[in-house]
Amino acid sequence: MTTEDAVTAVWRRESVRLVAALTRMTRDLDLAEDLAQDALVTALEQWPEGGVPANPGAWLMAVAKRRAIDQFRRNDTLRRRTAELAHGLEEAEVPDLDAAVDHIEDDVLRLAFLCCHPVLPPESRAALTLRLVGGLTTQEIARAYLVKDATMGQRISRAKRLLAESGAELENPTGAERWQRLTDVMAVVYLVFNEGYSATSGDDWTRPDLCREAMRLARMLAHLAPDEPEVHGLQALLEIQGSRLNARHAPDGTPILLDDQDRRRWDQLLIRRGLAALDRAEELAEQGRPVGSYVLQGAIAACHARARRPEDTDWTEIAGLYDVLARIAPGPVVEVNRAVAHGRAFGPDAGLAILAAVENVPGWHLVAAVRGDLLERAGRQEEAARAFRDAAALTRNADERRILLRRAQPGSPGTSGRTGGTARPPAAEPPG
Amino acid sequence: MRYITFVKMTEDLGDPPPALVEAMGTELAQSFADGTMIEAGGLAGMRDSTEIHLRGGTITQTDGPYAEGKEVAGGYAITEVRSHDEAVENARRVLELHLAHWPGWEGSVEIRQMFSSPG
Repeated sequence: MTTEDAVTAVWRRESVRLVAALTRMTRDLDLAEDLAQDALVTALEQWPEGGVPANPGAWLMAVAKRRAIDQFRRNDTLRRRTAELAHGLEEAEVPDLDAAVDHIEDDVLRLAFLCCHPVLPPESRAALTLRLVGGLTTQEIARAYLVKDATMGQRISRAKRLLAESGAELENPTGAERWQRLTDVMAVVYLVFNEGYSATSGDDWTRPDLCREAMRLARMLAHLAPDEPEVHGLQALLEIQGSRLNARHAPDGTPILLDDQDRRRWDQLLIRRGLAALDRAEELAEQGRPVGSYVLQGAIAACHARARRPEDTDWTEIAGLYDVLARIAPGPVVEVNRAVAHGRAFGPDAGLAILAAVENVPGWHLVAAVRGDLLERAGRQEEAARAFRDAAALTRNADERRILLRRAQPGSPGTSGRTGGTARPPAAEPPG
Repeated sequence: MRYITFVKMTEDLGDPPPALVEAMGTELAQSFADGTMIEAGGLAGMRDSTEIHLRGGTITQTDGPYAEGKEVAGGYAITEVRSHDEAVENARRVLELHLAHWPGWEGSVEIRQMFSSPG
């Protein structure tokens, strides 16, 4: 390992605390990042000679603080000269930097709030969070999002400018405001995860890495705001869904649906962590803290994770969880998944009854595909074939169309009572 | 990238000083808070360990304790990191803490990448 590699490794470990503390000291995100980068450059100059210091985070912080003080002094000198202020510089002009080093955890949470500030568009929130909280380089983020480096660079600069112009600051709100800001951060982490989860390939910074980064952010968040069940619910959801990353695609890239996955490929270490996070969420809920859609989705994911074989799945439990989810976070996707769960738990007719009430989203093939599956399970082959053909006409994915058309054939392998096959509707697992 | 690291030392060094235990606890808590530490734990001494061997077509068993002076793993940590260098840096920090808090301690950290389970 070269010293440069060591510096990069240190940066990944330490940058979020560095930038968070410096943002608090300087009240200027851009300046904070510059100071942190300057410290990094100094490290690149000095460490090859003197070696990596015992506590590199503290070393970088000390260098950055020194630069910050120099900067403030310079600014003050400038102001004194130009404005010719008689009273000049007082000690108070230089912020008490040492006092500001405490409560780093709070600083990191504030930084996450700032990166996910409501003035920013969602994709900017994700980019800024990965950059400043995740410690990724612009190049890594660009690669993860399959855009040019320059495009991602502009997106990040624009986001920082927007924050500066709107006067957004590091804040540690309380009560409902804190909850709202936490919700915003959780939404960004979930967005990053799904960006990676819905993709299939890549080479260096591959998209599964985006999932892993989101999992890491969710774990961080669970430590920063340990009092909220939803934060642990999000961690549970991502760890459990992340446990299936290696099982979700065939070697040729074809997606493999939940029931058809080789469950031996599920990552039991992540499942165990996910279940533990869910336990924490449920303990907090028992103490009266409110539960929301992440805890419920985490609990649904856990039902699947606990089933060693698809036929061991507790669909009655899942149907009940979807009933609650449908009340607190209603929407067509939840209803379709609820129909699947009820169909499995209580028979196809129960599922069809729910599906009948789902408002069809134009151009959306899922309702027809699930209807086909339920009709098939009910033994209503002709109606099922018609539904599969409808679904095939609506989907824009060629693989999926092929599978749906195959299921529309009489005597297709997907007749009722089957437990395998690849054509199960892409439902019953939010979000896939 | 998932790594498992083993802290290894000879078994005749006795208990770690409280200052090291505390510093390692802080380091571990930080790694969990950062979301990089997945699991960590200690291992029982070699006295209570067993090795079984296949040699020349015969399976044999030997029980501890074994000859002293050999470096053996006393604990393990499983981490999710973004590069091999990050795993090495984390391990280096562990040795820095030993250097600072356990005078005369010698040992090593073995850093091994884990592959996902085959299907």
